[in-house]
Amino acid sequence: MKLSNKITAAAVLVFISIFSLSTMFSIQNKSADERNSARLPRMSWSSLADGSYCSDLNEYTAENFSGQGSWIAAGALIKTEMCESVVNGVYISPERLLSAEISSQDSFEENAALINNFSEKYDGAVYVAAIPTSAGVYGDILPSYLQQVTEKQQIENFYEYLDADIRKIDAYSILKMLSDNYIYYRSDSKWTSYGAYCVYRTVIQKLGFLPVSYDKYTVHHITDDYKGDLYKRSQYMESNSDLLDVYEYSGGAEITGCTAYDNAGRGYEWELYDVEAAESEDKYRLYLGEKMPFVKITANVNNEKRLLVIGDDFAACFIPFLTQHYSEIVFVSPECMELRLKDHIDIRDYEQTLFLFGIDSLSSKIKDF
Amino acid sequence: MLYSSLLFIYGFFPAALGIYYITPRKFKDIALLLESMIFCGAFGLKYLGFIMIFTVVNYVAARSIYSLNGRNSPMRRIPFAAALIFDILSLFSFRSDILNFLSLKMTDNFFAVGISMYTLSAIGYLIDVYTGKIKADVNFVRFALFIMMFPRLIMGPVVSYDYFVRILKNRRITMNGLGNGVMLFIKGLAKKIIFADTLYMLYSAIKSIGTDNIAAASAWMGIIAYTLCLYFTLCGFSEMGLGIASCFGLKFPSSFNYPILSSRIRYFCSRWNIQIVQWFRKYIISPISELTESKLAGRLGIILLWTIIGFWYGFNFSSALWGILMGAAILLENKIQKLKMLKSTGIIYTFAVTTVLAIFISNDSISASVHYFFAMIGGTGVIVDQLTTYFLRSYVVALIITMYAATDLFKNMISRLMQTRFRIVVSIFKPVVMMALFAICTALISYSGCSEMILVRL
Repeated sequence: MKLSNKITAAAVLVFISIFSLSTMFSIQNKSADERNSARLPRMSWSSLADGSYCSDLNEYTAENFSGQGSWIAAGALIKTEMCESVVNGVYISPERLLSAEISSQDSFEENAALINNFSEKYDGAVYVAAIPTSAGVYGDILPSYLQQVTEKQQIENFYEYLDADIRKIDAYSILKMLSDNYIYYRSDSKWTSYGAYCVYRTVIQKLGFLPVSYDKYTVHHITDDYKGDLYKRSQYMESNSDLLDVYEYSGGAEITGCTAYDNAGRGYEWELYDVEAAESEDKYRLYLGEKMPFVKITANVNNEKRLLVIGDDFAACFIPFLTQHYSEIVFVSPECMELRLKDHIDIRDYEQTLFLFGIDSLSSKIKDF
Repeated sequence: MLYSSLLFIYGFFPAALGIYYITPRKFKDIALLLESMIFCGAFGLKYLGFIMIFTVVNYVAARSIYSLNGRNSPMRRIPFAAALIFDILSLFSFRSDILNFLSLKMTDNFFAVGISMYTLSAIGYLIDVYTGKIKADVNFVRFALFIMMFPRLIMGPVVSYDYFVRILKNRRITMNGLGNGVMLFIKGLAKKIIFADTLYMLYSAIKSIGTDNIAAASAWMGIIAYTLCLYFTLCGFSEMGLGIASCFGLKFPSSFNYPILSSRIRYFCSRWNIQIVQWFRKYIISPISELTESKLAGRLGIILLWTIIGFWYGFNFSSALWGILMGAAILLENKIQKLKMLKSTGIIYTFAVTTVLAIFISNDSISASVHYFFAMIGGTGVIVDQLTTYFLRSYVVALIITMYAATDLFKNMISRLMQTRFRIVVSIFKPVVMMALFAICTALISYSGCSEMILVRL
């Protein structure tokens, strides 16, 4: 028995050493950019004092742990065999993955106040579209204890905090009605381009235009191997891959310019669809490329209308549909913005503003813009 | 940085062990103290500051008591009382909201990890010095280790100072000790990550339904999951600590001896968090019972003992009520102990009683506990619903495995096999099973990096 104890100890210590060292080496070998993207925690007095530095370091270790993807996948397999199909906050059903996290409504009032403040200082019309996630539309798949507050209710609650003169768009009903269609990815909480198109038809009418009919578009399947945010969290091997589509309207307005700006105001030539990104790790960057605080898109549309869109990832695949109607659209992503909106643009230049956020983004505090 | 985090398992633990092994014997205590300080500092420098002050206050108080003891001066009561008040205030200020005005918490998310453990250690030490049972140690490093040594910081065990010193002096770093330690650590890790976390998922899912809508069968499942989860959490952390200590050549006694599925309530009580029960009996109940020999006082002593233990767990009236009821159950059992009972019947009634009483420790208030109890006896008008079958379908395997793991059946089977010709098979499979458990634990915490589901913060 003593020998087997010694063998166990030696094997475990070797195992620990291999994974400790390989994790350290893999961090060392990463380029500086990659290390930054994985959020190497910064040491500060306050983070050391309250212990958050160590928590962040643990998170960083997990993110960079040697063979992390395989470990998470193995964990998912064990969890689904041992208990209910909820892995790292993702519910695994045969058809699709759904977020099983019950989001808080604590930040709704504060986020609504940001939009109300904007609206008060703004002369144009303000539109708000809070978009349900896939768990909101397909929530009936979830066990009932996870459906206590539906996203429909959450969106209604959020809209109640908004001023009366702000126009609210009911995206939930549209998407729920069309839930038999491929409107949400099976491995992601976001809508597909088709889901975005279905809501676009209503939104654009509210904004004062006629929508481009579906048959005018040519749909290109860029990749059929997209695995979204819910897959990344659960690493559930048997989940279905998704299609990433690009909608092309050959007879429509042409894009005359697309420029992205970083926080220092430097401009970069940009594209509505970054097809090369579809081959990369982060395939969703196909839509509007890497996240940037500002993207300005101009098109040869015969009007002088300008639209300001403030939103999150849900907006990235929605904006291409809007380009057929405006000579200029500016897309602002508060999540990436370090300065204030007024430091970059004059909001009076835009007659209309559309806020388009997923309800999950509204559950946490949005950066003040 | 809990024991069940990647940073600890793959970073701190091997580094600390390596440094400790290469440190010359006479500096090992200092090395262990420095490592413990880093471990405490990982919870925040504020925490490290607090525990250092706590250690210094108790050290100085004990030294003062000891020196005044020598002169037989009644003045020794002053440092004794001052240090006791300081320790108790520290404990209350972190574990309950009663003393929030003292602002000792400094920030809302700052919790002095293990305070319930080392406060008892410190108070026990002060009492022993005050009553002259032991000398106050001059060696500050050793005393600081008594308070903040990282393998016993989170879940003890709470042992007397002289016993602790004996363990330090009998330190033996051997390959066998290392092997035992690693295996104990993996067992504890598996108890926490595989069993406790799975049961926590079931318990929290059932709890989220709310007592007004819960079916009786679901409520039963929920409280069974809670009882097992509490056991595996506490026992898991305790075994991880013991395992780490064993790797460092220190052999502490275990705190749990398979209490779940005991055949008598008193057996359950004598196997549950052993050192804590002994501490309260030694320092609170025994001095009181020495004052009188009446039977009634003895019975009241048992109820008082469990009331204090219950309060210590939850720092609320509901957990104190759990203690009162546990004490009453022991007394009642003593009354009927002459009744002949099959072992299996005993196991069922003990499990039923301890599980039902666990309602009071699982809720923060007595009214919430009573509501939950009504749900268990069908108060909501629903016995079984769709969710019950969903939970049963999803967790039946986990519940069966955890129930089995909570007993000593497996341990006994291995012991018996070791007496037979199958001992070679057991010896071969043991490292394989341990490695598999370790890999499973790593896989289960690989996403968040830590197992953060904690039922009670002691």
